[in-house]
Amino acid sequence: MILTLVAAAAVWALVAGVCLFVGSTGNNWPTDEQLAYRLERVLTASLIGAALAASGVVYQAILRNPLADPYLLGVSSGSALFAYIWRQPMAAAMLAAVGLAQTAVSQQVFAFAGALAAVTIVFVLSMRRGRLEPLTLLLVGVIVNVIAGALFLLINILARDTTTQMTFLVGSIQDVSDRQLWTVAVLVAIGWVLLMLMSAPLNVALLSEGEAASLGVRIHRLRWAALVTASLITASAVAISGPIGFVGLICPHLSRLIVGNDQRRLLPVATAAGAALLALADGIARMLAQGRFAATVLPVGILTALMGGPFFLLLLYQSRKRREL
Amino acid sequence: MSEYLLQADELCFAYNGAPAVEGVSLTLRPGEVLGIIGPNGSGKSTLIKLLMGHLSPQGGSVQWMGRDLKSWSPRELARQVAYLPQSPTADPAHRVIDVLRLGRAPYLGVLGLESRDDLEIVKEVAQALELTDLLERPMDGLSGGQRQRVFIGRCLAQQPKAMLLDEPNTFLDLRHQVELCRWLVQLTRALGMGVLMSVHDLNLAAMFADRILLLDRGRPARLGRAVEVLEPKLLSQVYNIALESVPHRLHPLIVPALDEM
Repeated sequence: MILTLVAAAAVWALVAGVCLFVGSTGNNWPTDEQLAYRLERVLTASLIGAALAASGVVYQAILRNPLADPYLLGVSSGSALFAYIWRQPMAAAMLAAVGLAQTAVSQQVFAFAGALAAVTIVFVLSMRRGRLEPLTLLLVGVIVNVIAGALFLLINILARDTTTQMTFLVGSIQDVSDRQLWTVAVLVAIGWVLLMLMSAPLNVALLSEGEAASLGVRIHRLRWAALVTASLITASAVAISGPIGFVGLICPHLSRLIVGNDQRRLLPVATAAGAALLALADGIARMLAQGRFAATVLPVGILTALMGGPFFLLLLYQSRKRREL
Repeated sequence: MSEYLLQADELCFAYNGAPAVEGVSLTLRPGEVLGIIGPNGSGKSTLIKLLMGHLSPQGGSVQWMGRDLKSWSPRELARQVAYLPQSPTADPAHRVIDVLRLGRAPYLGVLGLESRDDLEIVKEVAQALELTDLLERPMDGLSGGQRQRVFIGRCLAQQPKAMLLDEPNTFLDLRHQVELCRWLVQLTRALGMGVLMSVHDLNLAAMFADRILLLDRGRPARLGRAVEVLEPKLLSQVYNIALESVPHRLHPLIVPALDEM
C-alpha cells in the first residue's frame, strides 16, 4: 500500500519535473523567471488533473458505471458555467440584492452550486426504479454539457465580454492568483483525504445494495457523501480551468489495468496519474505553442478531448461487445 | 443471551398493498439448518430481506441474538450475520481474493486497511473451501460452482454466527448443488453456525435441512421436520400440481405425479 503510494507519487514527480524543461519559449534548462512561470503552470495542471481523476474514480464506483466521468456527467460544465457567471457584473448585482458582497460568496461556492445542480439534474432524470441507467446517464450528461455551453456563449455575447476567451469552453490552464490556487489546493486536498477515508466502503459499494448493507455499509449515506465530496473537488478545480474533459475517464481506467479495482489503491494511483497526465498535456500544449502558434498557448482541454474522445469510444465499443450496456 | 440466534414473530410485508409475507414466525438455533421452500412468488426472498433489515416489516418483529433488529447498526449486524442474495455481484475486474477480502469489510478500521488477522482469516476461509489455488484468478474465469463457493467464502470471512442464503443452488448442476449443501451442513455443525436458506429442490431441502418452512403465497403453510412438512397432499395444494411421494432409504422423495403423460 505504502509502496503503491510512493511509486505513484514518483511517477508524477518525474513527469512534472520533465515538464519544467519545456515551454513556449523553448525546451531548455529554465531560467529563474521561466522556472517560476512553468512551476506554477505544472502545479496548477497537476492539481486540476488530480482532482478530476480522483472524482472520476469515485463517480465510476458509486454509479457502478465505467463510463462515468465529471466531464461526461455534466458536472464540469455545470460548475464552470456557474464559476463564469460569478465573474459577471450581473451576478455581483444579484448577490448585492440579497445583501451579500461578491467577495462573501467565493467563486468556489458558485462553482460547487453549479456542480450540484448538474449532478442533481443528471441523477433525477436517469434514475429509474432506484437504479441509474447508464445510457440515460450519459445522454443527460451530454445534454447538460450542451446547455451549459450555450448559456456560456449567450452570457459571453450579451455581456460583450471580450476578456474571457472562448477557450473556457474546452478548459485550459490559466494564470490564476496565488490566493485562488491555494484555495483550490486546500479544498481539493481536504476532499481527497475524505474520499480516501471512504475508499474501503467504496469497494463494497461496487456490489448490489443488499450486499453492501449486509457487509455493514450504509450505502445511501455513503453514496451521498462520496458524490458531494467528488463534486466539490471537481467544482474547485473546474472553477479555475473550465471543463477539461476525459482526464477523469482515462486515468481511472489506465490505473485499474495496473493496480486492479481495489479503490484504496486505485484512488491514489489514478490521482497521481491524473496529475501527471494533465501536467504532460499542458507541457505538450506549451511546446506546440513554440513555433507556429507563438503567443497563443493551446488550451489543454483540446488535447485531452482529442485523446479522451477516441478512448471513450473504444471503451463504449468494448463494453457493448460484452453486452454491459 | 437468548437461546435463539434469530427469532421472528408474525412478520408482515406488502409491496404497494399486495401482501408478500403475512404472519411468518420462525426461529434459528446455533448449529441448525433451516430450509425455506415454496413456489415462485411465495415470499422467500422477501422474508430473507425482512430478516436482514433490507426491508422494514409493516408488522411483527425480528430479533437477532435476543436484540431487536432496529437497534443493530449495519456494521454490528454484519459481524454476526452474513447474507448471500440470489445473484451476487461479481465485478469482472475482481480476483477471488478481492471478493473474499470484502467479507472483512465490517471489521476494517477508519483507514480501511486489513490487519494481519484479517488476511489470516481470509487465508483460512480459502483453505476450508479449497479455494487456495484460485485466489489470483479473476471472477469471470470461474465455473458456476467455484463462483458460488467464493461467495460462500465471502460470507464466512465475516465470521458470522448465522448465514442467510437466498437460493444458493440456482445455476448449479446436480453435483455442485449437493456439494454446496454438504459444505454448508459441515460448516454449520463445525462452527455452531445457524444457516437459513431458501431452496427450490424439495428433496435437497429434505436431505440437508433440520427443519423446513413451507411458504404459501406469503403465509406459513407448515414449519417442522422434513417428514412433517413434505406431505404430498399439502405440497400438491401449495404448488398447485399433483405430487406423490416415493419411498427412499433416507426420506420419502417428492416427485410430480405424471402418469397421465
